[in-house]
Amino acid sequence: MSGITKHYGGVRALENVHFEANRGTIHALLGENGAGKSTLIKVLSGVVQPDSGTIELDGQAVEFANPTEANDAGIACIFQELSLLPDLTVADNIGITRPPKRFGLIDYRAQRRLAEEALARVGGEGIHPSTTVRELSLSRRQMVEIAKALARNPKILILDEATSALTAADVEKVFVMLHKLREEGMAIIYISHRMHEIAELADVCTVYRNGQKVETFKAGTKSDNAIVEMMIGREYESVFPPKTDKKLEAAPALKVRGFSWQNELDGIDLDIRPGEIVGLGGLDGQGQRQLLLGLFGTLIGATGSVEIDGKPVKLSSPKRAKSDEIGMALIPEDRKNEGLMLPMTVRENLSFASIEQISRAGVVNLKAEEAAIDEMIDLLKIRSDGIDGPVGALSGGNQQKVVIGKWLMTRPRIILLNDPTRGIDVGTKQEIYQLLQRLASEGAAILFYSTDYDELIGCCDRVLVMYGGTIVRTLAGDQLTETNLVSAALNLPAGTDETALAARAREVAT
Amino acid sequence: MVVLRVIFRQFDRATLIAFACIVVILLIGALAEPAFLSSDYLLQQLHVAAFLGVSATGVMLVILLGHIDLSIPWTIAVGGMMATGAAGILGPELGVVLAIPFGILCGAAIGAINGLGVAYLRAPAMIFTLGMNAVAQGLMVYHTGGFAPQDRATPFMRELTVGHLVPGLPNPLLIWIVLGGATMFMLNRTTLGRQIYAIGNQERAVFLSGVDTRRVIMICFVISGACAAATGVLLAGWANRSYQAMGDPYLLPTIAAIILGGTNVLGGRGKYTGTVAGVILITILQSMLSVVQPQRYFAQLGLDIPADTFRQVVFGLVIVAMLLLYGRQKALR
Repeated sequence: MSGITKHYGGVRALENVHFEANRGTIHALLGENGAGKSTLIKVLSGVVQPDSGTIELDGQAVEFANPTEANDAGIACIFQELSLLPDLTVADNIGITRPPKRFGLIDYRAQRRLAEEALARVGGEGIHPSTTVRELSLSRRQMVEIAKALARNPKILILDEATSALTAADVEKVFVMLHKLREEGMAIIYISHRMHEIAELADVCTVYRNGQKVETFKAGTKSDNAIVEMMIGREYESVFPPKTDKKLEAAPALKVRGFSWQNELDGIDLDIRPGEIVGLGGLDGQGQRQLLLGLFGTLIGATGSVEIDGKPVKLSSPKRAKSDEIGMALIPEDRKNEGLMLPMTVRENLSFASIEQISRAGVVNLKAEEAAIDEMIDLLKIRSDGIDGPVGALSGGNQQKVVIGKWLMTRPRIILLNDPTRGIDVGTKQEIYQLLQRLASEGAAILFYSTDYDELIGCCDRVLVMYGGTIVRTLAGDQLTETNLVSAALNLPAGTDETALAARAREVAT
Repeated sequence: MVVLRVIFRQFDRATLIAFACIVVILLIGALAEPAFLSSDYLLQQLHVAAFLGVSATGVMLVILLGHIDLSIPWTIAVGGMMATGAAGILGPELGVVLAIPFGILCGAAIGAINGLGVAYLRAPAMIFTLGMNAVAQGLMVYHTGGFAPQDRATPFMRELTVGHLVPGLPNPLLIWIVLGGATMFMLNRTTLGRQIYAIGNQERAVFLSGVDTRRVIMICFVISGACAAATGVLLAGWANRSYQAMGDPYLLPTIAAIILGGTNVLGGRGKYTGTVAGVILITILQSMLSVVQPQRYFAQLGLDIPADTFRQVVFGLVIVAMLLLYGRQKALR
């Protein structure tokens, strides 16, 4: 691929990018979200068309109008989001793009054989071709997804974070398979955020930043830190603003005792004082999201007591949680479905949560609304050239700012954040970190869940690590280190050494 | 300037096309019969359009939410029949005074049950409202079957549809103008209006923004039922009596008028001015088809089609064709 350029609206996704993948190599693509990796892959697999540039396959210029054409040319792509149809069988899914036919009907026996072969190739012999996909676990489904891609006998195999859902044991199997495919002469393009996977797997690495290629180098010639610095374009340490030294003697703004919900939350106790940023850590899916949603009043049947500024309250709905008496805000994790009305304008989205506050008897005061919106746009430095257009046209980072701004307009005293920096660029992340510190210094109590350990260490005064629906450890001050976070996340005593950690990680994963 | 901008914002592309279609149809009609451009005829059309306009107002709110109300036909019948039958149910004195509120209240009750089913029980609106339509039909058959009900309109209902409170302006048109103005204000300037559009775009986000989404859905269905019943009251006054299938010809025109006016069937987008244009467009189209009698030209070619059948087929085809012209969703990319 050479000279590939792609713009989305006014946003540059790729600028004059050259890329080469050779037979028999595993080529890793590195870069932050929004660096252009995914766009490059989409161009290569025919999902989007480049504004300019050419693609050559085995020395011949090709153009793909749609994914089917790219598929036919021997390019198979496995995305992070699964493309399987949950109610069809494994064999149906594997054969879906080109089912073997007999007399114009699908030849089920041949399709089943095809599926069995493809599954055997990825080391998934344990999966029966006639089970429906819905019954399989996430990691099994991912194996089927890979088998499906291989059933088309591709020349180029692209894996876009395809291992993020796999357990450690399955990742091993996939790696064995990828090495085998490499020996067979397939060109493999591999995208992952797990540095150790890349070190183990890749032959060649290319780093992207802001839609441009930074460097291509042989795997193993650079240290992890050097690679990360290449990815973000500056030193990593400077990302976080300094934590303010504050004395926390005030009574807790939010006091929770014995908070439980079904089998997913079990007796959570927590206190957050005004001005404090408390992190939620732990492995993904240990009840952190449920805790935030539960505090916001969306979980039916949650038990336990909640006190706001010393007064017991019942959190029965988001409407109640938002009320002046409680003053809570939740920045949800899925901004496209839970945070924003994408087709509506930036203005309408920004003022939506606080609309009652700027209305009298249900009639919106347009002047007050406009003033409040302008103030928020200034504060958050939201790019102002699209505020009367749909919020869906903004970049992910700006969309996230709108979600945060929408809630800041309600002037909340307690702010719950559910992984607010996922999928946004480092620049915006940094602005969000600064904003959090500023809100805390103005007296907000902040509860902050993140899947990124660096973020927890860099931002939070205290981190509560969750495991299996309970808080297993609280880390603060000097104790707040990555090793401690990881060991607590795996529910191990403090001070466990690295080998024990790795062993435990494998155990939990399987 | 600000006022101009606010007015201008009410006219999106679909609304302008709909108004253009009205002009085109009128011109075509005028070629056959110049009387179509007379102010008497046009005022009469607006008078007739008001009935459809009132029922479309309520349904539009439901469609903006991303739901649908298919109980319109028999809610109209309930409105008309309960208003005329009020004297028999509430007693001769109270029944005459409260005829209209009683009819509308019955429609609102049907709307409330729809809202309960869709918002609180989370039943799909399409099947739930269709079911309620059948329930309403059954109840009305029972109502007429058990005893001979009063089906004459009260003098006030009669006055409401044929009189002129403002000289030169038929009362139903006045009612539609007031109702439409209030709806536009509600959609554009109130928190409820914002919430209606927002729910149509992304209900989860609205719920997580601390809005009682179920209450909003409930309100819209109640308004829809009340508007349909109000249409029934007006129709009963117009015909001077109520009868069972009086709402049947209104389902397709109501929904078609809203969609032709540019409201997104999946909710979240649409202007009330578009619905006004759609209502007028459909009314004039129906009138043209019955006055011009295009089937006579086919009869000359030896193709004898009954007038009614022909009107139905052409009406349906024209609506489908116009939808293809501009009502389709923009291709998603």
